[in-house]
Amino acid sequence: MPTNTKRKRTAASAVPRARRTKFQADLAPAEDRTVRALKADLQLSSNTDFLSDAVALYGWAVSERKQGHRIVSESADGERRILVFPRLERVAPESALPRVRIEWTPRELESLAELASKDAAKAPTGKLIRAMRD
Amino acid sequence: MATVIRRLERSDEVGGFDCGDQPLNSYLQRHAWSNQEKSSIGVTYVAVEDQADRKVLGYFTLAMASIPRDAFPPKHVRGLPAYDLPLLLLARLAVVDSRFAGQGLGHALIAEVFRIALRLADEVGCRCIVTDAYRERTGWYRRYGFEPIEGCAADGPHRMFLDVRTVREAKRS
Repeated sequence: MPTNTKRKRTAASAVPRARRTKFQADLAPAEDRTVRALKADLQLSSNTDFLSDAVALYGWAVSERKQGHRIVSESADGERRILVFPRLERVAPESALPRVRIEWTPRELESLAELASKDAAKAPTGKLIRAMRD
Repeated sequence: MATVIRRLERSDEVGGFDCGDQPLNSYLQRHAWSNQEKSSIGVTYVAVEDQADRKVLGYFTLAMASIPRDAFPPKHVRGLPAYDLPLLLLARLAVVDSRFAGQGLGHALIAEVFRIALRLADEVGCRCIVTDAYRERTGWYRRYGFEPIEGCAADGPHRMFLDVRTVREAKRS
């Protein structure tokens, strides 16, 4: 019997353990209270489990925004609120962002300069005059 | 029922907005509010039916921009002001769908753009309105006096220009 036990121990020690990383955070008292409250709500007893769940949730949110998906909460009566979290917006696809900066080619600048530097502006069209009267 | 044009508000119904153009729909639904209220980089004006739900029927977005004087080719700067050229960018303009075609909603929206441009020109300075028009819509903008800016990519939108002095003249006419 003792021999058998020894063999088992030897087998277990042969499997390499995954290296665990320690994570330490300095929390303000308010954040600490929030973490404790969340752990209580979620019935989590350890910080490790809490962090593991938080990372999973954050990972999911990042992956959704990377695909350009919005994260929406919907109330029972259908009212929707969209999560806008600046750090998450950093991973959203570039193409989904609005284009505000104007790029000008040299020819466009030349053409714009020609139009804007005329002594007299073009006479208004009838449609424009109507628009200003409406 | 009258249509009113006013600034976008948080409770406006934009989720169902469909003008048939996905980037324009997406901008209103996803970015217009945050660009207006959080970043202050552009303001969106919406057309909604008065006394009805807050469903958006059309919209446009405006932003300010300027071009440094030294960005222009030297041979053309002589007729320009001695400072950066301030301009109003008509970044987006969309009308919800064909139900409103021919009802003057686009006309009402662009007329509001002109009124805002004049107020800006009077109060803070603005030399022109610039927009990137879809190629199939350039004729519509031309009717209001927009002129094409040369040198745009052949397959992209066409950049167009309207001098604020022309708009001012139209108001006097």
